Amino acid sequence: MRNARKVAAIFMVAGFGFAGSVQAADDPIATRQAIMASVGAAAGLGGGMMKGEVAYTPVAGKAAIAAMNAAADSFGSFFPAGSDQGDTGALPAIWENADGFGAELAKFSAATGKAMEAAGKAGPADLDAFKAAMGPVFGTCKSCHETYRKKN
Amino acid sequence: MKKALIVLVALAVVAAGIGWVLSAPTRMSEQQAANLQSGDPVQGELVFWAGGCASCHAAPDAKGDELLKLGGGLRLETPFGVFVAPNISSSETDGIGGWSLTDFANAMTHGTSPDGLNYYPAFPYTSYTRMTGEDLGDLYAFMKTLPEVQGNAGPHELGFPFNIRRGLGLWKRLFLDPEPVIATPVGDGSVDQALWDRGRYLVEGPGHCGECHTPRDLAGGLKLAEWLGGAPAPTGEGRIPDITPVDGKFGSWSATDIAYYLESGFTPEYDSVGGEMVKVQENMARLPAGDREAIAAYLKAIPPVIEATN
Repeated sequence: MRNARKVAAIFMVAGFGFAGSVQAADDPIATRQAIMASVGAAAGLGGGMMKGEVAYTPVAGKAAIAAMNAAADSFGSFFPAGSDQGDTGALPAIWENADGFGAELAKFSAATGKAMEAAGKAGPADLDAFKAAMGPVFGTCKSCHETYRKKN
Repeated sequence: MKKALIVLVALAVVAAGIGWVLSAPTRMSEQQAANLQSGDPVQGELVFWAGGCASCHAAPDAKGDELLKLGGGLRLETPFGVFVAPNISSSETDGIGGWSLTDFANAMTHGTSPDGLNYYPAFPYTSYTRMTGEDLGDLYAFMKTLPEVQGNAGPHELGFPFNIRRGLGLWKRLFLDPEPVIATPVGDGSVDQALWDRGRYLVEGPGHCGECHTPRDLAGGLKLAEWLGGAPAPTGEGRIPDITPVDGKFGSWSATDIAYYLESGFTPEYDSVGGEMVKVQENMARLPAGDREAIAAYLKAIPPVIEATN
């Protein structure tokens, strides 16, 4: 009996592992972390150019803004009920104060939408234009992280 | 038998008497108080931001000019109970508008109220005790210019024995010390001493960084041997990070990275500041660039704490 249970447990673990590898897209925690990783990379590129560590080009400026914009419009869809458990930096406040979290996402989205408009087809023409477009996007990071992300 | 009892009672009375004397609230000496003078409110505003006063004493979601309305009300939920930040606006009835400069300085450096009660160290006088008289005078002058806010934020919510303020007198004897924590810069001697000294003053004094970034012992005193080595978050989930120069961790941040973080809120990896540190960073962003460079210089040249025990 005990052995049978053990075997069943092993099969279950194996089964979950298998499902996990096939259905990574169904894992909201992994998905939202992937989105936020692209936000971080876009901020790294944008910030590097603002600080003068990376040479500015309109194409790179546009890439950073577009990545932010795609993230802002999709990120909020990956916080279903129950996904507060697991390897996540999300705080329970996201679910306890869904309206407040939604308002932060809306700010993020509004800022990236405006930046996209400012960027136009070819991207912000010069670094000053890029700073003006991206600055407000950067400003939204911490107002959300202040309340909705675990300290680390 | 009767004799033994008498001796015991006598000893208990003596012990209680000693305890009472040792737990008495302390104040500045008359000489120190006489040297104080109300200063320059413009300089005082910088001291105000360095000290982070608004982070606890303004309304919890305040931004901009609302940060200057110091009506209190923030609830600090800690293992000792809930501390409620009081009104320190210029209201004479509900705030500190009726305080003399000496009252103010005794509160800041001795944790003692004008009517002789001990403050709880949730008010970080254990750090403010390292502030100069000049900065206290400037800060006092600035706070006089701030608006009156009516209303009392309400009492702390503490259980026994933490609700006995007198007992804090003993605690202060153990843990209130105006001496610097780190005596000299650590490293190869290439440090700009004046810059490092300024950074030490800001971090160990008004900035009160150690109050959250240093672990505490069971009595709630800072473990100075693990200064800035990181600690469990006192008021919520997660951990306050180690900000000593440990290789591969905070040590990999350059002085420029640290100053940039305090100015912009972005880490070298372009993660953003979060949690309570957002308020701290926004305060630091209001200081002159040289002060952020000083903080960075200090943090680069203090003993690394490899692994905090708490």
